[in-house]
Amino acid sequence: MSIEAINEQLLRAIGVGVALLDLRDLKFRFLNDTFTEWFGEPDAEARLFDLFPALDAEALKSALNDGGRYATETSFKVRRRTMTVAMDFNRALEGGERIAVLVCQNVTRIKELESMIDSYSMMVERNTREIKREKEQVEKLLLNMMPRSVYEEYKTFGVVTPRLYNPVSVLTLDFCGFGELAATLDPGVIVSELNDIYSAFDRIGEQFGCERIKTIGDAYITVSGMPDPQPDHAMSVANAAVRFLRYLKHRNDSHPIAWKCRIGISSGAVIGSVVGVQKYIYDVFGPAVTQALRIRSHAEPMTIAADEAIAQAVDTRFGGVPMGAHDLGGEGKAEIFRLEMLPEAQQGLSA
Amino acid sequence: MDQVLFHKYGGFAKVSRIVLDLYNRLLDDDDLGPFFENVDMSRIVDHQTKFIASLLGGPASYTDDQIAKMHRHLTIMPAHFDTLIEILSETLADHGMEAADIAAVRQELEARRKLLVE
Repeated sequence: MSIEAINEQLLRAIGVGVALLDLRDLKFRFLNDTFTEWFGEPDAEARLFDLFPALDAEALKSALNDGGRYATETSFKVRRRTMTVAMDFNRALEGGERIAVLVCQNVTRIKELESMIDSYSMMVERNTREIKREKEQVEKLLLNMMPRSVYEEYKTFGVVTPRLYNPVSVLTLDFCGFGELAATLDPGVIVSELNDIYSAFDRIGEQFGCERIKTIGDAYITVSGMPDPQPDHAMSVANAAVRFLRYLKHRNDSHPIAWKCRIGISSGAVIGSVVGVQKYIYDVFGPAVTQALRIRSHAEPMTIAADEAIAQAVDTRFGGVPMGAHDLGGEGKAEIFRLEMLPEAQQGLSA
Repeated sequence: MDQVLFHKYGGFAKVSRIVLDLYNRLLDDDDLGPFFENVDMSRIVDHQTKFIASLLGGPASYTDDQIAKMHRHLTIMPAHFDTLIEILSETLADHGMEAADIAAVRQELEARRKLLVE
């Protein structure tokens, strides 16, 4: 077998469709087996456009004239399956005759894979968006439970190191007769009332540099001086406390349910930490919290009771009325004071 | 079903082969092939990718409503659905899926029969 014969055999047998075209009339001069398998056997006089009517004749001719090359794709059905073939025309010279070599590659599989990757990546992108949204929700929830700096530490290291904050001021508040209210009112009403009031307290507290730590039923605890130290932490809680009372009085005037609260404030040290493994919560505890709770128990409805440290630290806008010595959990008894904002200072009071 | 099967059998890298194999087998089948005859290739592949991914617990989920709506215009007989289950089972088996897992997939598919079959 001659080299030419072997070459022709090879050309016929390869899995690429090959055709030679006469460039003068675009008639087929040669077709290999793969080509006829895909596109059928055209009759002797058939031209390129008889077989591929969708081809852009002008684009093909001008591309072959200019650069000598033209590439396109064609799709057709073979036994229900969409086949896509990439067609590559190359101008050539053969013994002075102008011909074009048409090489056709089956890119069906590539097209199918492209479609599948498109489909899959869209699913993954949608999932990623959903996960991002969920993550934001979780972040929002956790930020409700702990200060941002603590959350950042938790996110980075997976744990929160318990930390001593000293000095800080703690404000605790509860509602008089809450047990009876809870028993008589509709649970939905109680919750929405508390939501409303606590949201207002949060807003006021934030204004004065207090960080709400938690609420347990009718008990509300907020702290100034953590996580970032604050020199005037006592003033912060005193300012917040008088505004809590003022807000509640205003609210009671226009609401069917009148809430009366007691406030205890105290200065000292606290430990802040995430407590619990599965149901973890950011909590503060320590002398200042214990004292604030004890002091609160001595407060009359709609008044603020404070320890001596607070009474000394607040400025001249506040006055402290001695309430006697009480056991606050430390050594011996300690003097506590009813804290009030003086009438002349109240004129400029907002919130 | 949990995420396990999709990841157990190699995630998208492997599952993509199952999808294309199933695509070929369904088109070749003389009972089921005609359903796909006049549908755009990329749509078939898209649906089958999501179909297999969700069946194996991967990242896709069609709601029952979507599935029912997509097939409402087709007249799918019980025998068609049976053939689909068989072809899918064979495909999964040929790709090395364990019998117990195939049974679980068949169950998943069976649970959706009423959405497709008239």
